Amino acid sequence: MSTQDTQHDDLTPVPGRRKFLNTAALAGLAGAGLSVGLSSCKQEAPPAAAPAAGAAPAAASHGASPHLAPGQLDEYYGIWSGGHTGDMRILGLPSGREITRVPVFNPDPLVGWGITNESKAIMGTKADGSLRYTVADTHHTHASYKDGTYDGRYAWINDKINGRIARVKLDTFECDKITEIPNVQGFHGIFPDKADPVDPAITHTTRVFAGAEFSIPLPNDGSHLNDVDTYRSLFTCVDAETMAVRWQALIDGNCDLVATSYDGKLAATNQYNTEMGAKYEDMMSAEKDACTFFHIARIEQAVKDGKFKTYGDSKVPVVDATREANKDPKTALVAYVPVPKNPHGVNASPDAKYFICAGKLSPTATVIELGKVLDWFDGKLEDIKATVVAEVELGLGPLHTAFDGRGNAFTTLFLDSQVVKWNVEAAIKFHAGDKNAQYVVDRLDVQYQPGHLNASQSETREADGKWLCVGCKFSKDRFLPVGPLHPENEQLVDISGEKMKLIADHPVRPEPHDFIIVKRDRIKTRQVYNLDEFPNAVKDPKESGVFRNGNKVTVKLVSQAPAFSLREFTVKKGDEVTLILTNLDKVEDLTHGFAIPKYNINFIVNPLETKSVTFKADKPGVYWCYCTHFCHALHLEMRTRMIVEK
Amino acid sequence: MFSQRTLRRLLAPLAALLLTSAAHADTYEIKLPPELSSSPRLCDYAPCSEVLPGATSFSERKGQPSYVEGYRDDAGQKTKVGYVMLSTDITDIPAYSGKPVVTLIGMDTAGKFTGVKILKHSEPILLLGIPESSLVKFNNQYLGQFVGDNIEIGKSRPEENLIGLDAITGATVTVIAQNQVMMTSGTEVAKQVGILKPVIRPQARFPISDAAPSWANLVADGSVQHLVVKPEDLGLKGDGRPYMDLWFGYLNQPTIGRALLGKDGYASLMARLKEGEHAIFIIRTAGMDSFKGSGFVRGGIYDRVQVRQDKDSFTFRDLDYVNLWGLAAAGAPAYDESAIFIIRGKGFSAAYPWKLVFLGNRIDKETAAKTFANFDREYWLADSYLEGGRPEVIKPDPTWLKVWKDKALQIGAFIVLLLGVAAAYANRDRLVRRSSHKNKWRVNAFKYTGWLLSIGFVGFQAMAQPSITQVLTWFHSLLFQWQWELFLSDPLIFIFWIFIIVTVFVWGRGLFCGWLCPFGSLSELLYKLGRACGLKRFQFHLPQALHDRLKGLKYAIFFGLLAVSFFSMGLAEKLAEIEPFKTTFLVGLLNRSWPYTLFAGGLLGLSIFTERPFCKYLCPLGAALAMPTTFRWFGLKRKDECTKCKACAKGCGSLAIDTKGNIDQRECMLCLDCMVLYYDDHACPPLAQERKRRDKAGQPLTPIDARGYFIPIHPAPARSATEEKHS
Repeated sequence: MSTQDTQHDDLTPVPGRRKFLNTAALAGLAGAGLSVGLSSCKQEAPPAAAPAAGAAPAAASHGASPHLAPGQLDEYYGIWSGGHTGDMRILGLPSGREITRVPVFNPDPLVGWGITNESKAIMGTKADGSLRYTVADTHHTHASYKDGTYDGRYAWINDKINGRIARVKLDTFECDKITEIPNVQGFHGIFPDKADPVDPAITHTTRVFAGAEFSIPLPNDGSHLNDVDTYRSLFTCVDAETMAVRWQALIDGNCDLVATSYDGKLAATNQYNTEMGAKYEDMMSAEKDACTFFHIARIEQAVKDGKFKTYGDSKVPVVDATREANKDPKTALVAYVPVPKNPHGVNASPDAKYFICAGKLSPTATVIELGKVLDWFDGKLEDIKATVVAEVELGLGPLHTAFDGRGNAFTTLFLDSQVVKWNVEAAIKFHAGDKNAQYVVDRLDVQYQPGHLNASQSETREADGKWLCVGCKFSKDRFLPVGPLHPENEQLVDISGEKMKLIADHPVRPEPHDFIIVKRDRIKTRQVYNLDEFPNAVKDPKESGVFRNGNKVTVKLVSQAPAFSLREFTVKKGDEVTLILTNLDKVEDLTHGFAIPKYNINFIVNPLETKSVTFKADKPGVYWCYCTHFCHALHLEMRTRMIVEK
Repeated sequence: MFSQRTLRRLLAPLAALLLTSAAHADTYEIKLPPELSSSPRLCDYAPCSEVLPGATSFSERKGQPSYVEGYRDDAGQKTKVGYVMLSTDITDIPAYSGKPVVTLIGMDTAGKFTGVKILKHSEPILLLGIPESSLVKFNNQYLGQFVGDNIEIGKSRPEENLIGLDAITGATVTVIAQNQVMMTSGTEVAKQVGILKPVIRPQARFPISDAAPSWANLVADGSVQHLVVKPEDLGLKGDGRPYMDLWFGYLNQPTIGRALLGKDGYASLMARLKEGEHAIFIIRTAGMDSFKGSGFVRGGIYDRVQVRQDKDSFTFRDLDYVNLWGLAAAGAPAYDESAIFIIRGKGFSAAYPWKLVFLGNRIDKETAAKTFANFDREYWLADSYLEGGRPEVIKPDPTWLKVWKDKALQIGAFIVLLLGVAAAYANRDRLVRRSSHKNKWRVNAFKYTGWLLSIGFVGFQAMAQPSITQVLTWFHSLLFQWQWELFLSDPLIFIFWIFIIVTVFVWGRGLFCGWLCPFGSLSELLYKLGRACGLKRFQFHLPQALHDRLKGLKYAIFFGLLAVSFFSMGLAEKLAEIEPFKTTFLVGLLNRSWPYTLFAGGLLGLSIFTERPFCKYLCPLGAALAMPTTFRWFGLKRKDECTKCKACAKGCGSLAIDTKGNIDQRECMLCLDCMVLYYDDHACPPLAQERKRRDKAGQPLTPIDARGYFIPIHPAPARSATEEKHS
């Protein structure tokens, strides 16, 4: 256990660098408050005989090596958020190799995301056709479920900056829908449901829940700008198929991360600002914040019954989930379970019994039994506090928790730069008064200051306890220095044995937050497209040509290695040109690119895919359009000439 | 080292002498450009327009197996008129020589053959016996025939929709193989281009079972099969490791699929498949090369593996590939390459047998030319995995079996002949005792019958005259590659050789040479006839000393041929014309050019005056058989007195008895003349002497014992008799 002194070392601030660091630095600056928090926890007896950090020898490995011989394939897909690069990243695990990046919220010149008409339609445009947003900050990504485990249909990812949720199809690893959530800011946590709360026949994901961190005036239209007391956060439910917002819930306090129960009845978000303070010291003032549980069936019934409001231009029904409106448990839409101050992370255990909130500013983890929460909603439990079955000390700065499917939880300790492995049932026994229960199993030093962590298939019923990835926010000295900006350090840990074993460091460009580790056989990708999927497809080279309608010109092209179907095409200055390109090559992996010099255009077309771009032919001259994606021995010769006449 | 060329140069004059006016075959063992089988532009190297009349331009090779399209130029518009294929792109069915006849085949868009051209063959029979034009004539029978018809060698049987082709007499194996080549090549291409529709087989239904077989169980019941290719099979140098070591199996069958992929893996795979699609897995547990190759990267086609069911072949595109994530069956081996392939073509049914085919490239050691080589392994779900068990399947007979069935009667008669002769010879003691110096008919009745049947039935009718070329082929097969099919393709020769090998080691080569060799029989028959016709006074033997020298010549010829064969089998086969067999029996004296007729006729003519001149001095086959005869089990009998007595030697037509009375078993034709003498108390001097002594002494003539003596009147005690035997 760290001493008070080392805590202060850990908390030495590096000003204004990262959000989380800011929190920590603030905590450090807040000094007294934190000390109070910690000392109040320290009053409880620390767990007996917790093993010394990092001293434990490596446990026997399950024999899998993260090193793959040439030609060997990874066992897991890692689906990573990209942070403020606005993308989603796909890794192979355990090798840690980055396989692809999926552009989502931000433009990507490689595939032409934000350049082609099709991607712009998904991303959203202003009246002049330009993109509405070009920055985003992705934090959390979670995939669709069926029968309590991943079914490989979709993954969802949030944009915290502009309050958007996107869906990525896991058969093509492409974003197909983006929805902007009304009346929220700081959209952070995200989690799909795992079953329908009412219909037992629906055992797959049909909703995705989204939590908003920052409270704002409702509607945020310029009125009530300084009435901080009226600022509110909304908890949002999005339809997994249509991606339309189904409903929102107005709450006291804010939302942070989100978890859902395996039976579909409950969703929860942890709250670090029940105080609804606008300044950090206000946000930390209360000893207890909350983990807020939503009774999904009741909320949807309320919506059906017309018990909702709408705010501003939004047509989305908003139910009242404040404490004041939900005093009677039997009709309550929401339950506020108190947890120690400023918690971070709420995670559902694979046995479907518990949600675990990590303390962040409290060195504890809180175990909430879902059955008891349902009892409270049914009026069978007097005191909501009784849903907490354990509140045990783990170390400094606990943030997120993963599971091995064998009853153990792994929690990151941001300030201690550790992962602590602890046994959930032992913690419950300890909390119940059995002081001999040793719930801490192992501790592992990680480098440095871990945020999220996740284990293979962790948040499914099939948690297999093989690999753990730890997203360390600081890499410091772990990689070749590349100047002031450091990569983050994703660390791979073998958790198959009793002891954790650190296996590998991987630099990642800032800054992924959360990720999931999905068994490779859960994902079924497509190899090529089907021509018929694209209504504007040019299905035959003979359909190629330049088609004029006033000053609107459509150029239809196909690509077949190593040629485009037109050797040249001519338009006039001032024309609005829409260029449609279909790749008629059927061979897997035979992708072509299309770049127009000086017109700032590049995109790719995969086999049998069609894409289009629209631009103003405002520069007369000859422009050699060429294939940018290596395709053939005659790749360099694969060109067509765009002639723009004066 | 002796290069092939040097040797050819040295032997050329000899060959020229032999072949002076032999019609030079155009395509025999001709050297073809390596691009013929490798270049995409097949028609730059092959006379495509000759087999597809009307076509003026041709595409590059396409398809799997490959073919080209031929086009007519209609005022600038290209119109497809048909297809041209190279037989060795499609099949490597060997002909009589063990090598394929490289044939260029043209077919129009309706699937009718438009042309056939032999580019290269290695058939010796066509080189020196039957004119090559007869094969051209044979091939012309295909013109205008539809590839989907049932075309066979033999008589047409309209009631069975069977179109018959006239065979080439004496080259049955060649034409049967050629028919297979034509029909296989034609159907392969016709199916690819849609002229022939795939056969639709009823789909399998699978019984429900809770069994969870292990890998070993699956291997044992055939649900997982093993295909191994050795580097030697591809003309590569081996180091004991396999070139390709593959295991494969069918995954749709639920018991097998679940055992191999696990419950989830099976469900996931089946969810990908549409109705009528089938999945197989392949793993490579060892090997020097990839079974995926890299063709699928460029063209999207996996060009090293395919599935065949009867005549339907199923190839795999990149889109038919799915990752094999792992094998769940207990005891599954580790592997370093794996795939799940999806069979999407119509007509595949798991209820019927199919084959996994590995398509390799065989590299010729001499020329480094690549020819393709297929290796396959059959797969058929066991009864227990199919509802109602395996359906009945009639498989077409392989070429050799077809021949055996067609010739069943002849084969039966031949076996009777061989067994009859062997039985007669086995009872030679009885026969020779009943014969005498003056009357040998008891022996000769059998021998002469053997001769007549050998000459007429075996030689002229069945053309089953064994030849030294077969011995050479054996040597090569033993050393390089043993192909049962090759030897089985001529049943009479095959049976004859089994008989020859057995009898050489039991009795010596004389039983074949003296009793059953068609040419030897003819030769000695002529000698006997000559004697009977009063030509005895002109008949002669070479003096023993000269004979002893000349008899070694045949060994030299044998070893010469053997040595040449290692440089060039073709040349050795040409030089093997020292045997007049082909001229005499296979082709006919009157059908060959004059040097052959003169040579064979001369030898036969000479046979009238001296006994078996060819056998004694020239026959390499006799030499080859004479050497193992040294180790024969039962020799002819001799008496102590034989060392001094010359009676037998005088009558030995083979000149096989030397001055010390020893029989040279290597030269002996087992005519049994000396054995007749052995028991003849009027002819064998020691016996005659004893007979006369007993006559004088008034003693009775006791029977002659096995050792050729009269049984003594006062038998010696048993013990001393034993001792005597041992002495």
